Amino acid sequence: MTDIAALVAQQAINGLYLGCLYVMVALGLTLIYGVLNQINFAHADFVTVGAFAAFFVATRFATKALGLADTTGYLVSIVVAFGVGAILGALVNAAVFAPLRERGDELRPLIATIGVSVLLENGQLALFGPIPYQFDSPFTRETIRIGRIFFTQQSVVVVLVAAVSVAALYAFLRLTFLGKALRAVSQDRETAGLMGINPSLLIALTIVISSALAGMAGALLGPVLVLTPFAGASVIVKAFAIVIIGGFGNLEGTILAGILVGVIEAFTVQYLGSGVIDLVVFVLLLVMLAIRPTGLVAERKEENV
Amino acid sequence: MKLRIAVAVLVIALAPLLLQTPYWRGILIVCAMNVLLALSLNLVIGYTGQLNLGQSAFFAIGAYVSTILTKTYGWNFWLAVPVAIAAAGVLGLALAAFAVRLRGHYLAIASLGFAVITYQVLINWERVTEGVRGIYGILPPPGFRDQLALFYLVAGIALVVYLVLGNLVRSPIGETLRAIREDEVSAASLGINAARWKAFAFGVGAAIAGLAGCFYPGFVGTLVPEAFNIVESFTMMAMVIVGGMGTMIGPVIGAVVLTFLPELLRSVGELRLLVYGVALTLVVLFMPGGLVQIGAALRRKPA
Repeated sequence: MTDIAALVAQQAINGLYLGCLYVMVALGLTLIYGVLNQINFAHADFVTVGAFAAFFVATRFATKALGLADTTGYLVSIVVAFGVGAILGALVNAAVFAPLRERGDELRPLIATIGVSVLLENGQLALFGPIPYQFDSPFTRETIRIGRIFFTQQSVVVVLVAAVSVAALYAFLRLTFLGKALRAVSQDRETAGLMGINPSLLIALTIVISSALAGMAGALLGPVLVLTPFAGASVIVKAFAIVIIGGFGNLEGTILAGILVGVIEAFTVQYLGSGVIDLVVFVLLLVMLAIRPTGLVAERKEENV
Repeated sequence: MKLRIAVAVLVIALAPLLLQTPYWRGILIVCAMNVLLALSLNLVIGYTGQLNLGQSAFFAIGAYVSTILTKTYGWNFWLAVPVAIAAAGVLGLALAAFAVRLRGHYLAIASLGFAVITYQVLINWERVTEGVRGIYGILPPPGFRDQLALFYLVAGIALVVYLVLGNLVRSPIGETLRAIREDEVSAASLGINAARWKAFAFGVGAAIAGLAGCFYPGFVGTLVPEAFNIVESFTMMAMVIVGGMGTMIGPVIGAVVLTFLPELLRSVGELRLLVYGVALTLVVLFMPGGLVQIGAALRRKPA
């Protein structure tokens, strides 16, 4: 293999790994948007809570209290983070999002998510302090080498978890009755209600699923991020960009855009330096909004007057 | 109306006499700047209904343009101010070029992206902005070197902006903006050029934020990109919402409350920023009209 080909392949793999991390964060955002037509700014903090939950399980509870091997401990922590995210989502929905939704205003629920976000960030700041935690995944120690291309076991774990999550989400949406009901609610909430579907229950379910995904994303991102109470905020803006580039509420578009942004980022680091990543991603976002505001995978939507 | 102006002048005049320490006088200046920022954002969010989450970018432009012109190029501060305001206004129009095509959530994220790009440019364009190292030793505007004078200056400007904006929103222009907020399609069917008026609101809002930005670096003495993190846009929005958006006095109340409340709670330590989250969530949940709702409710009740 020539040097350049090896380099390109290496960066493509790095990009895929990064892209899968972004997809994990963005999936929940796009899911909530698709069903509720709402942006959730607190999503970032569900990711952070998931990361902290995973951190304490992986480094303290599973390995020290239960005496598991550190690799098993990390895998367990991913599952725990999924559960913690789900519980947090259910709580926040019951306390804030559900009561607001009944009033049928568009702006205030969005602002409430900002309020919840600031609350969660500073709550965690009070609990965990501002000093970053060192969250090492045992899988980052092992490097796999194929020819001249290197990647860590961690990236294999991330890509696998992301692939399984996406497959499970699709299977749920396409094959189960609940999934079908969910899609019905996302298409037309009122009509779905008339068909005997309980929209508020399914909206709650959507929020729970997407926060569970966010929690799991936190467990995967934890070893990459500087783990502070504001860790999630550092990726969320990029996740928003991905969701828009892909087309709001569109799962295929989000997955495609997530991997695309990951790959672009990997090559940006290679050729332009890591300082300009956000710049490149957001210029891409604005260009996208200017030439194709419906996103990569467009969804037809007519507007009611 | 005249009575209200008199009360406002009185409050501004007396506030520094009640708060004598340099620390609290500093807070007063911050408060006056926050009032300006909340007023600027309210025009866009409250009166025109455009969800702009990028207001911190224009604050940053005002601060950086005025500082670079005075420090690097040796301009007179008062000459740099109009240029800084114009620069922020032009960038506001640039964002509006996107904004007029987008609605609601797309606009929210696009404007957020705009703030991120501005922030990143400030960090990366080191030759001009000094990047994360920051610019040091910035003096307050000439003639307003001590805190008291600076407070009267910024608060006076805030009062003038309040009066001008108040007249603007009561004028036919204000009605046009509100028509766009309530229903853009209906407004367009009445012959209103929504794109032009949205651009107008963005431009004026950005220019006022740029004006506020001119006074920030001189007050703090240093200028770093971190001061214009996107979180700043959220705190500005919190002021508008907590006070009561779409009213003139609401954002002023919001700015005052959310500037002083965290300071009063400083003894609680790290928890003080929780105030923003709690206030924002509680107000949205239980007082959707903001704090001005209390006043309105009291007035409605027979004595």
